[in-house]
This record gives sequence, C-alpha cells and structure tokens, in this order.
Amino acid sequence: MFKAIVSAETLSSALDSVSVLVDECKIHLEEDGFTIRAVDPANVGMVDLSLDAAAFESYEADGGLIGVDLSRLEDIAGMAESGGLVQLELDEETRKLHIQIDGLEYTLALIDPDSIRQEPDIPDLDLPASVVLEGKDINRSVKAADMVSDHIALGVDEGEEFFYVDAEGDTDDVHLELTTTELIDLQLGPAHSLFSLDYLKDMNKAIPAAAEVTLELGEEFPIKIHYGFAEGQGQVTYMLAPRIQSD
Amino acid sequence: MEFAEFATRAKEIEAESADLEVTALVTDLFREGGDDLEVLARFVQGRVFPAWESTTLDVGPRTCYEAIARAAGQNVSAADVEETLASVGEIGAVAAGYEFGGQQGLGAFTGGGPDELTVSAVSETLADLAETDGDGSQDRKIDLLFSLFNRCSSDEARYLARLVLSEMRIGVGEGTVRDAIGEAFDVPTDEVERALQVSNDYGRVAAVSRESGLEGLESMTLSVGRPVQAMLAQTGTVTDALTDWERTAVEWKYDGARIALHYDGERAWVFSRNMEDVTAALPEVVEFAEAHLERPAILDGEVVAVDEAGDPLPFQAVLRRFRRKHDVEAARTAVPVSPVFFDCLHADGEDLLEAPLTERHARLESLLRDHEDQPPEGVSALVLSDDPDEIESIDAAALEAGHEGIMLKDPNSTYSPGRRGRHWRKHKPDVETLDLVVTGAEWGEGRRATFLGTFELSVRTDDGYETVGKVATGITDETLADLTDLLEPHVRAQDGQTVTLEPAVVFEVGYEEIQVSPTYTSGYALRFPRFVGVRSDKDPEDSDCLERLERLFDAS
Repeated sequence: MFKAIVSAETLSSALDSVSVLVDECKIHLEEDGFTIRAVDPANVGMVDLSLDAAAFESYEADGGLIGVDLSRLEDIAGMAESGGLVQLELDEETRKLHIQIDGLEYTLALIDPDSIRQEPDIPDLDLPASVVLEGKDINRSVKAADMVSDHIALGVDEGEEFFYVDAEGDTDDVHLELTTTELIDLQLGPAHSLFSLDYLKDMNKAIPAAAEVTLELGEEFPIKIHYGFAEGQGQVTYMLAPRIQSD
Repeated sequence: MEFAEFATRAKEIEAESADLEVTALVTDLFREGGDDLEVLARFVQGRVFPAWESTTLDVGPRTCYEAIARAAGQNVSAADVEETLASVGEIGAVAAGYEFGGQQGLGAFTGGGPDELTVSAVSETLADLAETDGDGSQDRKIDLLFSLFNRCSSDEARYLARLVLSEMRIGVGEGTVRDAIGEAFDVPTDEVERALQVSNDYGRVAAVSRESGLEGLESMTLSVGRPVQAMLAQTGTVTDALTDWERTAVEWKYDGARIALHYDGERAWVFSRNMEDVTAALPEVVEFAEAHLERPAILDGEVVAVDEAGDPLPFQAVLRRFRRKHDVEAARTAVPVSPVFFDCLHADGEDLLEAPLTERHARLESLLRDHEDQPPEGVSALVLSDDPDEIESIDAAALEAGHEGIMLKDPNSTYSPGRRGRHWRKHKPDVETLDLVVTGAEWGEGRRATFLGTFELSVRTDDGYETVGKVATGITDETLADLTDLLEPHVRAQDGQTVTLEPAVVFEVGYEEIQVSPTYTSGYALRFPRFVGVRSDKDPEDSDCLERLERLFDAS
C-alpha cells in the first residue's frame, strides 16, 4: 500500500539527485518515508537518499518496493505548476503508479525491481577531514576546474587551515582556496584525493546553491557529499570513489 | 572464464598464422569454455549476439572513443583517441596503448576485493547496452562502456574495443569455428555445418555438440520464425552453366529486394536479406501468406514494386518500404509491393535444404497453388533448358519487362544458406562506366593504414564538382599503394582519417544503377560502384559531367 501527496518541488529535488547517476532506481516505501539507494554502472558514484514522511502533505506506506524510470517520473512531476501538489497512489494489482496533478491523471507503468541493478553496499568510511560550505561554492569550484581539466583534486591544508581545489590541464591550471572565513566549518585532517569531473559535475547539478553541504575527505579515499533538502526532511549523501593519482 | 584469459587466448590466436594451429587454439578455448562456451563461440568471431537475432549493439565509433577517453585518464579526450587511431590505424592497438583502471570503484573500499572482468560480465553489460534507448541513451552507453574499459588491462582493452566496434579480426572465420566445434566435441564437421546453416547460432551449435553430440546436432532443424542466411549467386555465363550442368534451370532475376517469408500456420514473419525483421513494414507479404499458405513454410523470394504500367520501380523505392516504421499504410499506397518466390526451404514440418532445386520448386508450387487447374500465384517461372537460344529469349523477356536479367541454377543443387557458390549464377547485361574525379579519400585501417581507400567520387558541373558516391571495392592492396602515391600529392586537408583532395585524378567507375540520393551533393548516387581503372589519359576537365549522369538516369 502506498498513497501520498507531496509538493512537486520536493519530489523533483529528490528524483533529480538520483537521476544524475542512474536512469532507473528502486524506491523503498517505508512507513516513515521513502529511501533510494543507487550506484552507477561503473560502481564509482553512489547516492543514498531519504525523504521523511513529514516532508509530504500526507503519506501512507507499509514497506513496499517499486522500480521506476526516473526521467519519466521527472517529466510527470514537471507538469505541475509552481507550488503544485502531486498525488501518488500505487495500484498493487496492476503494479502501476497513479499520479494526479491539477486534474491531470497519469498512469505510470513500473519496472520490475529485480531488473534494476543491485543496490550498493554503503562503504563504511572513516574520513578524517570535513568541510562545510554552501552549495554555490561547490558549483564555483567545479566550474573553475572544468575550464581546464576533466579531473579535480580536493584537499585540506592542515598547517594553513584551508580547503583547496586543484585542477591541472594540459596547459592551464586552476587553484582555489577557501579559508575558515568563507567556509561554514572546517575539521582539519589529512586529506587529498583526485576525482573525475564527469561525476562531480552531475552531482553538482543536483545540489541547491543555498544548501549547506558537508564534504568528508581523506587521503586517496572516496568523498562523501551530504546535504539536506525539503527543509531538512530530505537527506542526500553521495559517495564518489577517487582516481589514482599518477604523477 | 576471466575476460583476461579470453584476451590472452585471442592474442595467441591472432599471432598464429597457420590455419591448423588457429583451429587447434580455438578448439582448446571451446573445450575449456565451461559455462561461457556459447558466448566464446561468438566472441572469437567478433560477434556479440547470435547471427539470427536482430539485436545490435548500435555503438558508433564516437561513443566508443568517448568511453575509452574517459577510462584512459586525465585530460584524454575522444578527439585524442581519434587522432591516435589515425596514426595507429586500429582501435584495438589504440585502446591497448592506454593505461586504464585509474578510476577506482567504491567496491575497493568495502573490502569486496578486486573486481575482475569476466567473459559473462562483458556479455551481460553489452546486452544491457543494446537495450539502452531513448533520451540520454548515448550518455548511458558511454557509462556502460566506461565501466568495462575502466576494469581492463591492456590486452583486455584491445579485444574489448574490437568486439564493441565489430572489428575483431583475429583470423577466426566461420569455417574455423565450425572445425573447432567438430574437434573439440568429437562431432563430424559436415553435421556442424548443417546445424549452423539451419540454426544460424554458433553458440547454440557449440553447446549442443558438447552436451548431446551427433544426435543433438542431427535433431537441430530450421525453425519457423528464426531467419537463416539467404543462398547467394555468383556472376556467370550461359555457356559455362551449360558446360557444367548440361541443362540449366532459368528464371528471371527480379529487380526487387530479397525477402524470406516464414509462416507457422497462423503467424507470418518477413525477414530482409540481412535477417532483419521487416514484417511490420511489408503488410502485403503477410496478407499474401494468409491468403495463399495453409501449412507452415519458409520461402525465399523477392518483393517487387511496379508502377501503373507494370514496370518495376527502382530498387531504392522498394528499399524505402523496408525502412518505413511509421505510416506504413501511406507508404503502401505510394509504393505497393508484391512478393515473388523462387525457393522453398521448409514445407509443412519438413526441411528441404538437402532436396534438389527442382523438387524444392515443385513443393513451392504445390504450397502456393490455390486451385488445381490454375498456376500458383507469386511463384517465379522456372524453365529447364539446354538450348542457348531459348535461354537468350528468356533473358530478353526479363530485360524487356524491366528486370535485371536471368538467374541460372544447377537443377540438382541443394540449398546452402549464406553460401555464394557455383550453383547459382546471375547473368546481367554489362553496364556503362563513368569517368569521375576523385575529390576525397579515407586512410585505411589495420593492414591498410598507410593506404588511402574509400575514394570519394565527384561529377563535373559548370562551376566545380559535386559528389556522387564512394568507391572502395574492386581494388587490390597493390593498386591501393599505387593510388596512394598518385593521390597523396593532391591532399588539400586532413581531418582524422578523412582527407580532401584537389580534383586531379580521374577514375573509371562501373556501377549497377544510378539513384536519386540526398547523401551526395550532385543529388545522385551510384549503386554498387566498382573501381575499373585510372583514366590517366583524362584531366578532370574531360571527366563526365552532371548532364550525362542525368541522361543515364532518365534512360534507365
């Protein structure tokens, strides 16, 4: 059983953060909200999302599992006016999702969850450094690096106490430092890792500019990117594996 | 089997030039193939899917280059890959030259251990790739290919790249696979050959040979609804045919497109010459089956389109019908087609591949005969003759009716799917040649990397030259070397493997037909262009002009 009403904006935010990595996903319809976990085909980038029941106008579920085509569902949510509501109801018999938006009725065929790539195990990472900053600063860092390279190095300078971004191109280089005055918070620790911009650019697309984002970093370790949405009732954690640094 | 193991074996096979040794290596591979036998039997030939399946990877070179670039490391772009390809000449060598695996997977941090690529994982990912369609599918294909290349060693990357772009080229042909299956599982090769012809599935035949031997192979039959390759013809003369067979079967060579009609008693399938399912595009043929067939059958024939005067329309009009996916009804009204059948591979539960032509034709007639006292509909007339004059008059009648000429067939021959043997010969009138200017070319690949090939041909107009086609066939390596020497001084610009040439050299080019075409700037294209020679006696100014092309088109 699943029946819910949610603002189109909240639904879109949730879906967008997953669709940057995968086309299809499984949605766990738990009693206290829904969760999604997905990993890209190369097992490099992962998303772990939860949307609390409190983020919905109304929410009833009893632990079901559905598989959805994300771009289809995003298109439907996009049909709502600004501030509009989306009503979702699962038909257990036909395995279809009935969606209503301002008088528009859409019946969405679901995907067999068994045909969707297995959900990843979440790596248990103990990352020594943590950086809290605004979404717009991540956007700026990614954009700067993208001008010269397809990779980005992120690290923390423990001595001088700042977070930095490095990108090396064939001819040009980019370096960006953010000190404790620009950052919301900085926990010092040994941290320097290289990441593919292909993935970070996609993840960046989903991160709201005004969101408070926590980055957890280590030496040659995956990065964890965490932020909240829907007034803190939605939580997204990305994990991205590093690239081995050759010099 | 680990994909690395397959790559090692493929490398050994590629390095071996003696046929017997190659067969021995493939035999070993099959013996040790385990659960991957079916996939391996396809991979060694550079196939991903069984030949009868219409599924294709549909991965363009660009997509593959993007994936390789992404896996190759920092700041390598698809353009870099393409550039390397232009100098190296072969995608496998390009891929093998990069160091992959720089991008780690999250699995490395969950204690899952190294994530080795297996033959079955590659096969499954490629199957996922083939299923990807719709919005953003190009990106998703790159993601999937990246996920494979990122886990590749140098040798693995070499053979993965070739597999993806259907350029395996390790010297393993169909004959090698047939012989290796025979040796690996101790079954007679002629039975393997027969099973391959009826099933069109190398993987399946290998597995059946291993699991149930000769008995299993013998029980493999044609299956209605699963396409087999069409039997092909060589060119030939009436004199040779009569010398070889004393008496020849003669029928019109219809100017249409080859089809196979499968009917299981209720449902009909239509397949094109390259085994694509074109059932939906050709409702006339389905209706023909429903109207005239009662029992299961597999028939071989052509669909022909005729205008109101009853003259056949050009081949390309027929072909457009094959490609039509929407508005089939409108296309049908504009270009109605009708089938003409000339062979019967299966009738009412009985495979007829081993039966002589005359018997198969008789079965065809009886299958399609609606009334005892009337000739069957949609069956080509087959005349047995040993009289050159009679054959000549049939040829004249076929040409008069606007068809291509005649087919000469050995009356006692069996049906060999996919074989271009001596048993069927096509007899066509000679066509004119055109003298055209070479305005572009492409650097070759592999063995031909240092030669220019695939020459762009142009026709002269009042103010310059307009393209009319490309010619790549009918040229030996030796000639290619000469042509490269001749053309290289005239290279104007180069973009990847493609070069632009200043108009300087004139080729004499044969062709089968002139077609209207949006592909080339002259508005025309040559069907089956073939290189005849260099007209060193002609300057570009003396080459054929667009008006001549138009006249020839109008006259045809």
